[in-house]
Amino acid sequence: MFNIYNPPFTVELEDTVITVEKQGGNLIYRRMSEGEEETELVLLNNDGNILINPIEPVNLPKKHNTSFLLIDFKHPVLIRPGDRKKIYLSFPVEIGVFVSDKAGNHEVIDIFTFSRVKFTLYGSHDRGLICRYWESDIFTDIPKTNILKEGYIELEIINDSNHLMEVTKVVFNAYGMKIYHGNKRIVMNASMRIINKLLAETDFSTNPTTSRFRRSMELYTSRKLIISGTKGIMEFGL
Amino acid sequence: MNNSTISQYIPQVFDPFLQVITVIVILFFAIVIGKGIALYLKRALNTKIDKEHLDILLRVVYYGIIIIAIIGFIFPVLGIRTSNLLVAGGVVGIVVGFASQSIMGNFISGVFLMIERPIKIGDQVNIDNKLGYVEDIKIVSTIIRTYDGLYVRLPNETVFTTSITNYVTNLARRFEYVVGIRYNDDADEAIKIIEDLIDLEPYALAHPSPSVFVDNLGDNAVNISVRIWAPVTEWYGLRTKMLWIIKKTLEENGIEIAFPQRTVWFASDLNTRNIDTNYVENEMGNYINPGMDET
Repeated sequence: MFNIYNPPFTVELEDTVITVEKQGGNLIYRRMSEGEEETELVLLNNDGNILINPIEPVNLPKKHNTSFLLIDFKHPVLIRPGDRKKIYLSFPVEIGVFVSDKAGNHEVIDIFTFSRVKFTLYGSHDRGLICRYWESDIFTDIPKTNILKEGYIELEIINDSNHLMEVTKVVFNAYGMKIYHGNKRIVMNASMRIINKLLAETDFSTNPTTSRFRRSMELYTSRKLIISGTKGIMEFGL
Repeated sequence: MNNSTISQYIPQVFDPFLQVITVIVILFFAIVIGKGIALYLKRALNTKIDKEHLDILLRVVYYGIIIIAIIGFIFPVLGIRTSNLLVAGGVVGIVVGFASQSIMGNFISGVFLMIERPIKIGDQVNIDNKLGYVEDIKIVSTIIRTYDGLYVRLPNETVFTTSITNYVTNLARRFEYVVGIRYNDDADEAIKIIEDLIDLEPYALAHPSPSVFVDNLGDNAVNISVRIWAPVTEWYGLRTKMLWIIKKTLEENGIEIAFPQRTVWFASDLNTRNIDTNYVENEMGNYINPGMDET
């Protein structure tokens, strides 16, 4: 499913069919959804492989809308002062199709999703953030997810304040995301450090949960942009 | 090293013809160097500084080089002492100040606009009832490209003293529809359908949440108010898209958009009779069937 493919090939994901054909030295990339053509691209003079894997879920409906993902908890979580606790959250999956060259460079050519896309405003109207919105249950154990639609985040909440804290949401920065995928699951490891009622910091860790998971090709690192920060700063409340 | 020290090394030119030539040559080189450095900075800082700040920096560098060339090189060549300029400048300043009051007003307003920054290049604004995109903020004027593509130059004094509406400063913007449905339609069902449609739309923000409610009972319709927040970058696209989708979906579910109508009640029965539509009235006031052969 999420793998490197050598053209020509056809892959079926739910009701979507991805076909890459060879025509002379060119590749024809097609994505059909429910029998209707969604995307067609001609990759001129290209004999590279095609990589399909999950990417940061902030690129649809179009790029540059946001680089933040806000996960709204269906139920608030309370954490005691000085405590640290691990919970699991679901997150939406976006799938990126990359073409690689002989030097091993990857360029994204298509992005699609089977998850619901929604946006929200976090914080104030003038200084806040427009974020991709996702609502998740709180899980105390690894949740069962449909790999094409949802992954899960292993989130360690650390309460560095002196008060009992209620957490209702978490904001992640896509520039820090490190996505790992196996055959049945997509996972990210993250932490949320609560500083006070209005301020928290989120970050991702590079360690996969198990060695069976492979690291995804991430869009926000392959763009080679100058990145000012990879952490998510929640300065408008928890 | 101050200007007077620099000027010691620059010989004064006395021949008026040579003075003109020297001034032109110095100015030419100053402009070339200024443009060259500005171009280099533009390329080097293009991805590191936003366009508006970069434009200001480039102008400061460009005009700074020209001013340095004038004070540091042209004045010594012409034998003008900068200390004398202070006295002369005071007098000339008063004269020029009176003569160019509006220019100075626009210039000072431009400086304050750059400090206060109520608008940025690329913003969508309404200034003095001129709606459009800010194309450029110059020292004495601001350039607007209206939505229908017209070039409008506004003096900075006007921009500074009039009210400015900046449509894109805040991250989210709300729009509103009023959907009038018939009195015999179920408003609760209509609200549910509209809420579901909004929920499906990615750019209709989850927070601030949309609101759909019966706003008033109008003369001809139950008016449902629909208020949706969207990111400012997507606001217009969503606004132009949603209303027709709401109308079509309501009608697919048997809920009609009401049109002006009036129900008239008569105090007594009307003396009416049924007339076959095949019959027409003749000159005598009788009804005849023109399709039938009277013979």
